[in-house]
Amino acid sequence: MDRRFKPGDKVRVIQRSQPGHVRTPMYVRGKAGVIERVVGSFPNPETLAYGQSGLPYKILYRVNFMQKELWDDYEGKPDDSLEIEIYEHWLEAN
Amino acid sequence: MRGPQDLGGLPAGLVDPELHEHIPTHWEKRIDAMMTLLFDPKRRLARVDESRRMQEALGEDYHKYPYYERWLLAISWLMLEKGVYTQTELDEKKKEVRKRIEEERSGS
Amino acid sequence: MNENTHDHTHATHTHDGKPIQNDDRPPIEAETLETAVRELLIDKGVISAEEIHREIEMKDGKGPELGAKIVARAWVDEEFKTRLLTDGDSAVLDFGIDMRPTELCVVENTDEVHNMVVCTLCSCYPRAILGIPPAWYKRRDYRARAVREPRSILSEFGTVIPEHKQVRVHDSNADLRYLVLPQRPAGTENLNEEELAELVSRDSMIGVSDIPS
Repeated sequence: MDRRFKPGDKVRVIQRSQPGHVRTPMYVRGKAGVIERVVGSFPNPETLAYGQSGLPYKILYRVNFMQKELWDDYEGKPDDSLEIEIYEHWLEAN
Repeated sequence: MRGPQDLGGLPAGLVDPELHEHIPTHWEKRIDAMMTLLFDPKRRLARVDESRRMQEALGEDYHKYPYYERWLLAISWLMLEKGVYTQTELDEKKKEVRKRIEEERSGS
Repeated sequence: MNENTHDHTHATHTHDGKPIQNDDRPPIEAETLETAVRELLIDKGVISAEEIHREIEMKDGKGPELGAKIVARAWVDEEFKTRLLTDGDSAVLDFGIDMRPTELCVVENTDEVHNMVVCTLCSCYPRAILGIPPAWYKRRDYRARAVREPRSILSEFGTVIPEHKQVRVHDSNADLRYLVLPQRPAGTENLNEEELAELVSRDSMIGVSDIPS
């Protein structure tokens, strides 16, 4: 499968509302991060949740965010970060 | 449109590692086992994603139920959705079971 | 009954090390529904009582001890550690663990980085390695706050991470399952693999605590 992003690429999680079962939590939507690694292709949970096949598979990435990008009032240290898995259709180049 | 399960970053209380430790009860283990069996490759009656969808559909009630009760509701609704049993069959079975458990509990 | 009153404090083991059987009963509505669903599934031949029994026994046999053995092996065997960090699935096959359909991602604590794991959307957890997740891992308090104020959560577990160290939170939200590889405590040079495994706590493999030296 073609991969739109590679490790080190700057990305942004798409800010959109979508009904139904979704694995992209609100707190990362619209936030900028960096691709940590490509995990591989996996069935799409958004259709698996409705008893469908999950096809076509989606590319899954691990994306790293600086905590201060996620939370304006982050109280920890400036280097603190967070990693989460995001499917390709939730990412755009930044 | 934040689902009830989407908790990341919301205000919440302190974690008390001692108080919030809990050995699964036998009842909870039965639910855990049922879930695994229904989702296993042999049966594949449903997927974990479907169970999550069912739990999320609880809306605000999501927070009223303890963890394993949410799982149990999800299983009971998924099996209805898949036609494994009908609502009438479930209702009748519950009536019979309820009577049995009431007798058992009052006797002990 | 709500989530906040449901958990009870119990010792996890008797003095001779056997797990305690917890026979507390749920509210009658919940017990009724569980029994009804289970009996219907058995009546219809979907699952058998024997299968449920065997599944419970199997899960009882899976606990953090397995994770502790993996960590201890990584501490004494560089080649294994490299494999564990780069291809976790294949490394844990040595211990008879099959991660499918998920994939294992092992994150290493170092002098520069402290890792901790949460699942904000449900309770994803490396069950094949650590068993059933602790109750606090599944509760709102931990799920909501671990991503936003990890250092506060850590302090609630009595864990203080030095200022110069980065805290990296892993939100286990999709197809990976995370195991933290804690740092080997100082002064353990003379311990063998088995003795090392005894030092490794469940919480250190979730990343909410360190292993004391």
